[in-house]
Amino acid sequence: MLSAVPALAEPVLVAHPLVSVNQLTVNTTRLMFSMQLDQWPDGNRVRVFVLPDDSAIHRAFSKHKLSLYPRQLRRVWDRQLYSGTGQVPETVRSETEMRRKVATTPGAVGYLPSAMIDDTVSVLSIR
Amino acid sequence: MLCWLLFVLGSGTAKAIDFGGDLQVHGFATQGFVKTTDNRFFGDSEDGAFEFTELGINASYKVSPSVLVSGQLLSRNAGKMDDGSPTVDYALIDWNLSNTSDGAVGLLAGRIKNTLGLYNETRDVAFTRPSIFLPQQVYFDRVRDLFLSADGVQIYGRIPTDSGRWMVNLGATINPIDKNVEIAFLGRDFEGDLDADDVTFIARAEYETHDGAWRLGWSAAKVTLDFDASRTDPIGDGRIDLLYWVASLQYNAERWTLTGEYMREPVDFQGFGPLLGSRDSTVEGYYLQGSYLLRNDLELIVRYAEGYTDRDDRSGMTQSAATGGQLPPHSFFQKDWMLGVRWDVTPNFMLRAEYQWNDGTWTLSNRENPDPSATVKDWEMFSLLASYRF
Repeated sequence: MLSAVPALAEPVLVAHPLVSVNQLTVNTTRLMFSMQLDQWPDGNRVRVFVLPDDSAIHRAFSKHKLSLYPRQLRRVWDRQLYSGTGQVPETVRSETEMRRKVATTPGAVGYLPSAMIDDTVSVLSIR
Repeated sequence: MLCWLLFVLGSGTAKAIDFGGDLQVHGFATQGFVKTTDNRFFGDSEDGAFEFTELGINASYKVSPSVLVSGQLLSRNAGKMDDGSPTVDYALIDWNLSNTSDGAVGLLAGRIKNTLGLYNETRDVAFTRPSIFLPQQVYFDRVRDLFLSADGVQIYGRIPTDSGRWMVNLGATINPIDKNVEIAFLGRDFEGDLDADDVTFIARAEYETHDGAWRLGWSAAKVTLDFDASRTDPIGDGRIDLLYWVASLQYNAERWTLTGEYMREPVDFQGFGPLLGSRDSTVEGYYLQGSYLLRNDLELIVRYAEGYTDRDDRSGMTQSAATGGQLPPHSFFQKDWMLGVRWDVTPNFMLRAEYQWNDGTWTLSNRENPDPSATVKDWEMFSLLASYRF
């Protein structure tokens, strides 16, 4: 159903270096990015960072890692936000800001193109 | 109110106010324009009206990982139906008793949005509606208070399955209602008062596949309205029992969405004396809607909707005859086609234009159209909307 993209453009799931897991299930990742699961297994707050809805890497992450179209993520966030039953992720402006926020915010989770990965963030695999 | 609007638009960095992650503040401002060939909808629309404005601001604070406190103020101007006075749309505590990837259960207390259909919870936020106005045959704007939000408690659960998840809500609440409800159900605003002092029960079960492609749901509200007549009223005390329910189905593909909802509402009048009398009827409404993304920021939408005061008298002839012809048959049904376009200029600013062809006047407010015999059966509507959010 989803079209293929070059492997280089595939975004990678990243987290704050002190996050105590190194892999997540698709389901858990989807719940976190839907703002419906807000604790890591160790009890720490999850803090979700995303790029704007119209950014190419956000679209690629939603479609290929979460199997959700960005419009559906937005629908879930909006429904929770405007009924008072949830909060929305923090939107960052650039991939550089994404890396900085994820590296410095305890409990942070986000995504980056593989070329942007360095040792300030930890890479999580999705199984 | 203008100051507030300027404040909202002035903070146009299109970024929500962030106080370090635990406190979030968001808002929206919407302005509509309506022009009808005949009849009045959201203002003096025959001359073209700008009497549709929605302003909202909300705040939420994560007290702990499992407790969220939130509230939203709403100002809504809607022709003669709503004058823009600020109201508390919701103000609640969301206590998450358990939340893991294996499911969640929690409790809401306070003023809670009613989980009815696919759209009721966020019906006043233009960005979350499929069109400028929600399909009126299912989401009445003339009696919106009946189902908008209510004070009480609600239990919710998220139950995962292999292919998706169930969302379940059960609530017991007291409904604050306004004069529009009395005018819609009793025909006009009497000296006496119509109240919903008895407990309203709300239930919803909604299933969504993991990929968000399929959504199906059933939701219902059981409401009792009590009328205390005053000495000068021509009708006596009475009681109205109603059960409003909606079945919903949606399919989402990457570029298009198909949505259908079916509503039924058995209404039972008891008392009220000889003039109004005891009677029961079943209100019915449904629509089918398709949307297609031409570009990522440009969406086309088409919808067909039908609604009836009494599904056993779809032509309205029997009901009209019962009023001695005072209410024309076309005031008991409405069938319409709508064609529209949505342009997301930025992720936070949206423009819409729609055209609607109507047969019947059932969804019109009698507050805006006080003389039913002066309404026109076949009428058309053009509307525009601009909405900004942060």
